[in-house]
Amino acid sequence: MTNREISVENLTKYYGDVKAVDGISFKVPAGEIFGFLGPNGAGKSTAISVLTTLALPTGGKATVGGYDVVLQAQEVRRVAGVALQEIGLDPLMKSLELLVIQGQLFGANRKEARARAHELLEIVKLADVTDRPVGKYSGGMRRRLDLAMALVHEPEILFLDEPTTGLDPASRRDIWAEVRRLNTEKGMTIFLTTQYLEEADELADRIAIINGGKIAVEGQPEALKAGLGAESINLTFQDGDTAERARDILTTMVERTQVDRRTLRLYQANAANAIPNVVNRLNEVGLNPISLTLTQPTLDDVFLQVTGSNFAIETEEDSAPLAKPA
Amino acid sequence: MAVAARKLTTETTSISSAQMPFVLQVTTLAWRSLVTMIRTPAAVLPAVLISVFFLLIYQGSFSEAATFLPGLGDNYLAFILPFSLISAALSGSSVVGQNIVRDIENGYFDKLLLTPVSRAALLLGPIIAGGVVLALQAAIVVVIGLLLGMETKTGVLGVLAVMGLSMLVGIGFGGFTVGVALRTGNAGATSGASFLFFPLSFLTAANVPLELLTGWIKTAATLNPITYVLEAMRSILRVGWDADIIAKGLIGCAVLFIFPYIFALMSLRSRTRRK
Repeated sequence: MTNREISVENLTKYYGDVKAVDGISFKVPAGEIFGFLGPNGAGKSTAISVLTTLALPTGGKATVGGYDVVLQAQEVRRVAGVALQEIGLDPLMKSLELLVIQGQLFGANRKEARARAHELLEIVKLADVTDRPVGKYSGGMRRRLDLAMALVHEPEILFLDEPTTGLDPASRRDIWAEVRRLNTEKGMTIFLTTQYLEEADELADRIAIINGGKIAVEGQPEALKAGLGAESINLTFQDGDTAERARDILTTMVERTQVDRRTLRLYQANAANAIPNVVNRLNEVGLNPISLTLTQPTLDDVFLQVTGSNFAIETEEDSAPLAKPA
Repeated sequence: MAVAARKLTTETTSISSAQMPFVLQVTTLAWRSLVTMIRTPAAVLPAVLISVFFLLIYQGSFSEAATFLPGLGDNYLAFILPFSLISAALSGSSVVGQNIVRDIENGYFDKLLLTPVSRAALLLGPIIAGGVVLALQAAIVVVIGLLLGMETKTGVLGVLAVMGLSMLVGIGFGGFTVGVALRTGNAGATSGASFLFFPLSFLTAANVPLELLTGWIKTAATLNPITYVLEAMRSILRVGWDADIIAKGLIGCAVLFIFPYIFALMSLRSRTRRK
């Protein structure tokens, strides 16, 4: 029987010379929400397609619910619910039709499948639009229907590949609430990829940051943030050169510094107390920051720390290393 | 939402983990494909329109002239109707490939691959749906032919046999468009591939009996399996049941069936082989 766990050992997936997934290992125990966090092209979707049987691994071993993804693909398909990043809905069909077919393909008779479809439409708040072809749905509605499709057979393990990418904040909160409910009420193990640090922070019991096909760091969000220790003072200057000059001047006053484009981060325990001294020193040399903020460590900082580059920037402009860790 | 959801989950319908029987998988997927085909009439209607157009044009142009040609006689309508049926079947059959390529493009094909459904059912479903569409098309063409005053030697049975032969040709050629759809996942390539229907249907004894053709077109027509299917259909409508000619027609159908489906199965393999 299924053990509701995901276990991955030294998994690799190469496309030609490209090492999309390059030797990752992790375990997701039953009932956990595991966040797989990384920028575009980090290997998140590739990992999901291997774990959900759409792609074969190049090497290593992975089991889902105790079933081997290579040798027991049919069993994996039975226990896993999957909502891919690319929504897989036929725009000409109606939501009820799609859900009924999905239920039947998972072994339900027509009556069961209809009952289940109606329940799911209530849950994802689409019960009043069942007559409209899916092609006329908004992005948020389509995403919710796609999630419902993944839940038809009451999977024990749910894979969500960037479930909220491109959604407005309200739709995103709906999805988050549903993910949490599935986890707490149903005890569903959930493997979630995201490029939003906020989302991983919000939902995941544990996260792994994947970058360049490798897991850079893994742990509970709180522990990862605590591992950074210091709070930071963030000073933004008019250009990167000024930020670098400010760093040279201030570097002895704090525990650690980092420049990310025009922003200088000063890491320091009890950072608030250090602000007056920092501001005075900058005044003396005539370097005036445009803004000054004080932050608690975030997953963003964790990401910065482990990959040496800023998350958001890397997402937009691919992987040019823009920041030099101090 | 939380309240409603909580109430609902206490009475969740459980889906039994039984495997859906293969036949039901196929009929469920066939029904699904048929629904989408019917919802895109623009993909289905042109084939009927073209073949009705051929029927009317050829009948209008040649029905008088044909009486002067040896072997044609006065029932030109029964001579040209099989050609019209074949062209409807060939151009209409691309609906199957189009159906599959749509699913690949909109991601639904992947969704189906993630269910424990048989990979063969993924192919058979749309093909059967395509067969139903082809039957409807053939019925429309035949009814128009009868309304125009076509006479047959073999009655209802003959008409059904002729429709059946055209459907076999259509389903066979449909396999080719399915193969291209699976291999390329590209709608443009798939509709491009279905243009092969032009040489396939015209490089035959399309307008006059095979005996009257000469030169390269005769060679082409002799090599084209569709020529023999056409001959069989014409013989059924205009002469009667001739086992020899019908057998040749069926062999023609078989040839048109085997090669496209070997190609389609190989393409399905490469599409569902987990890369």
